Amino acid sequence: MTCSEFQKRIDPFLDNEVDLATAQEMQRHLEECADCETFFAARLALRQRLQTPELRFLPAADLRSEIHAQLQKEIRPPLAHFNWLPRLQFPNWILPTLAGAAAVLVFWFGSTTFLSPVRSSNGANNTLIEQLVSNHLRSLVGNHLFDVASSDQHTVKPWFAGKLNFSPPVFDFSEQGFKLIGGRLDYLAMRKRQPWFFSTRSTISTCSFGPGTSRVLCQTRFFRRKDSTCTVGKPTA
Amino acid sequence: MNDQERLTRFESEMLPLTNDAYNLARWLVQNDQDAHDMVQEAFLRAFRFFRGMRGETSRAWLLRIVRNVCYDHLRKRPGLSNSSDSDQENLPDTNPSPEAALQTKSEIAAVRSALAKLPEDFRTVLVLREMEELSYREISEITQVPIGTVMSRLARGRQHLTDLLKQMRAKDLL
Repeated sequence: MTCSEFQKRIDPFLDNEVDLATAQEMQRHLEECADCETFFAARLALRQRLQTPELRFLPAADLRSEIHAQLQKEIRPPLAHFNWLPRLQFPNWILPTLAGAAAVLVFWFGSTTFLSPVRSSNGANNTLIEQLVSNHLRSLVGNHLFDVASSDQHTVKPWFAGKLNFSPPVFDFSEQGFKLIGGRLDYLAMRKRQPWFFSTRSTISTCSFGPGTSRVLCQTRFFRRKDSTCTVGKPTA
Repeated sequence: MNDQERLTRFESEMLPLTNDAYNLARWLVQNDQDAHDMVQEAFLRAFRFFRGMRGETSRAWLLRIVRNVCYDHLRKRPGLSNSSDSDQENLPDTNPSPEAALQTKSEIAAVRSALAKLPEDFRTVLVLREMEELSYREISEITQVPIGTVMSRLARGRQHLTDLLKQMRAKDLL
């Protein structure tokens, strides 16, 4: 190997980026040629100087936390982990809107099927509707949809019986296209012994029934639309 | 994988690389505040494309984004990239004897300002090779030029740097 060949490859040699045969050849040349050895030593010294730790710049202490905060902002804020409510961020107006929609639905259900007519102008009923809406919303956003998950009335009813001192009538909404999927205890201020069926455009519907006194545990049963192919928590339809 | 999981995975993989990212950015834009901003921007971009990661190591991938962000920034404000004179002070003392410390300090300062004077392309490959100790292949992925170009930039960069240091030493002696 000539000196010019050596010097042409000196950088890849220094960086361990030449093949083994070339490396051996260069090593041999290095031992024979004083000029090239000096040249190589200078390169090594330069490397040493460039690798001084003091030459590195260190970021300000808060850079990491700033990055973290910025990335948190980047992902969708609350509710972000519910894939089945995709891209839905619950803005401030959603609750009143849902409450209104719920009132209409309760009206419609009441008048067409089994509920006695509801006076929505009645303040007490509006509070109740809000409670129902918030219970319903809560059941949709949490992981805990039921206390008892069963499609069998004979499982759900005795389960409630062990927890409550009243037993409401069993409702069958299969004609309306809703199938029982489970039940949960909820708090509601109910004035009348009345079932409240609650449905939104989501696939989960709730039916709550209280004993008729104020602010007590009530039963909430969950129903799913029969024609939907969804499973609880992650509907695919 | 939902967003929160994605973020957690991203952060556990990428946040430990903050120092490397900052060092490269700081060497490229030559200014603390800009480097800080560049790294933030790079992490944001990296997170947005996190799914698109392929075979590369995450370090090379992140550094490529840092390098791109910095180059974009430098392109927007040309002429300011080669102005570095703020780095002479505040070097940590590592040597016990004051004379030796002084010598090391001025030595480091000399290398620092010489490296800062190099054209960006040379400076980039030198920082990646010597400080981040990346392979030619990784450097070629980061700088998006062929390996042969990486090789020649390193050779020319080192030569250039050696000459600059010689000049500075000569000036000091005069």
